[in-house]
Amino acid sequence: MTACGRTPLLESVVTGEAPAALANELRVHAAGCARCRHELNWLESEAKLFRERAARDEVLHLWAGVAERRGLRSQRPWSRVLVAVAASMLLLLGAGRVALGVTSSHGGPDASVFDDGFGMSEPLMSPALTFEEGENCSRLPDGVGFRCEPAIPASFIASR
Amino acid sequence: MLRLLERAEPIGPETPDEALVRRAQAGESAAFKALFERHVVAVRRFVRDLVRDRHLADDATQEAFARAHAQLDKLADHDRFKPWILGIARNVAFEVRRVRQHEPIDDDDDEGTPDAVIPSPDPEAVLLDRELEQHFTEALGVLSPKRRAALLMRIDHGLSYEEIALAFGWSIPTVKNEIHRARLKLRAALLPHLGAGGRP
Repeated sequence: MTACGRTPLLESVVTGEAPAALANELRVHAAGCARCRHELNWLESEAKLFRERAARDEVLHLWAGVAERRGLRSQRPWSRVLVAVAASMLLLLGAGRVALGVTSSHGGPDASVFDDGFGMSEPLMSPALTFEEGENCSRLPDGVGFRCEPAIPASFIASR
Repeated sequence: MLRLLERAEPIGPETPDEALVRRAQAGESAAFKALFERHVVAVRRFVRDLVRDRHLADDATQEAFARAHAQLDKLADHDRFKPWILGIARNVAFEVRRVRQHEPIDDDDDEGTPDAVIPSPDPEAVLLDRELEQHFTEALGVLSPKRRAALLMRIDHGLSYEEIALAFGWSIPTVKNEIHRARLKLRAALLPHLGAGGRP
C-alpha cells in the first residue's frame, strides 16, 4: 500500500470533527484508496469497540464516597418531606383501622397457600402473573420467570 | 441578583457544563453532583483502564471527584470540565499505581511496536462479546500507562489533541506521535481476536 496524504484526516471523520462535506469526500476517497480504506476500517472498528464497552458501565453508586469525603449533602429536602408525609399517612391509616375494630380474622384462604417459600417471599426475583382461583393459566406468555398464582383476596390483604 | 436568578434555574440534561461549573463554584452542591453524574461513567472507565483494578478504580474515581470539588475554584475555563477532571483522574490513577502497585508509569513500550501495515478488520463484523472485551482490556494493558491514557483520552473520551497536550504538558506533535504508536500496538494485539475478517 502506498502512502496517502489524506490518511491523517480520516480520524476526524470517525470522531465527527470533520464537516459533513469533507467527511463524505473522504469516505468516497477511501473507497478507492487501499491505504485510507485500511485506516478507516481500523478507526471505525476501534471506535465501535470503545462505544460498546462504554455502554456497559454502571457507577452512580460512587457519589456516596465523594459526598462523604467532601461533606456534601443532598439539597433536596423536599424528597425527605415527601417520604415523611407518606409514612405519616400510612400510620394514620393503620391507626384508623385499629379504631374501626378491624381484626385479624378473615374468611380467605389459608395463609400457607402463599407461604410456599417461592412466590411471596421473593417478590423481586421474577414477575408473577396472578389469576383468579380456578382460572386457566393457558394465557401465560411463553418464557422464563412467569408463574401461575391465585389472586390474593382483598380480605386476606386486609387481615395482614 | 444574577447569581440568585441563575441558582433558581432547575438543573437538567440541557444545562451546559459551563453553567454547572459556575453554580458549583458558587457553592451549589447539586450542581457539582450533576457534573458528577454526567462525567462519572467516563472518569471511572478511564481510571479503571489505567489502574486495571475495579476496587482501586472506584476509590480513585471518588478521590478524583473529591479533589475536583476541592479545587473547583481553579477551573477558569468553565466549559472544559471534562478534560480537567480527566487530567485529575489521570494524576490520581498514576499515584495509585505508584503507591499500591509499585509500577512505573513511564515504561517505554516501543519494543515490539509494529511498523509494518497489519491487516484491517471489517467494522461491520466487529462485535464486543465477553471474550473480545477481555482481549481488548488485555490489549490496552500492553501499552505504557501514559501512552494508554493519551489514547483513551482521544478515542474513548473524545478529547482533542490540544486538550490532551494541555493535560500532559506535551506538545501537540508529541501527543499525535504517542497516540499513533499506541494505536499500532493496540491493533497488533487485537488483530488475532477480531475473527477472520482481517484483510490487508
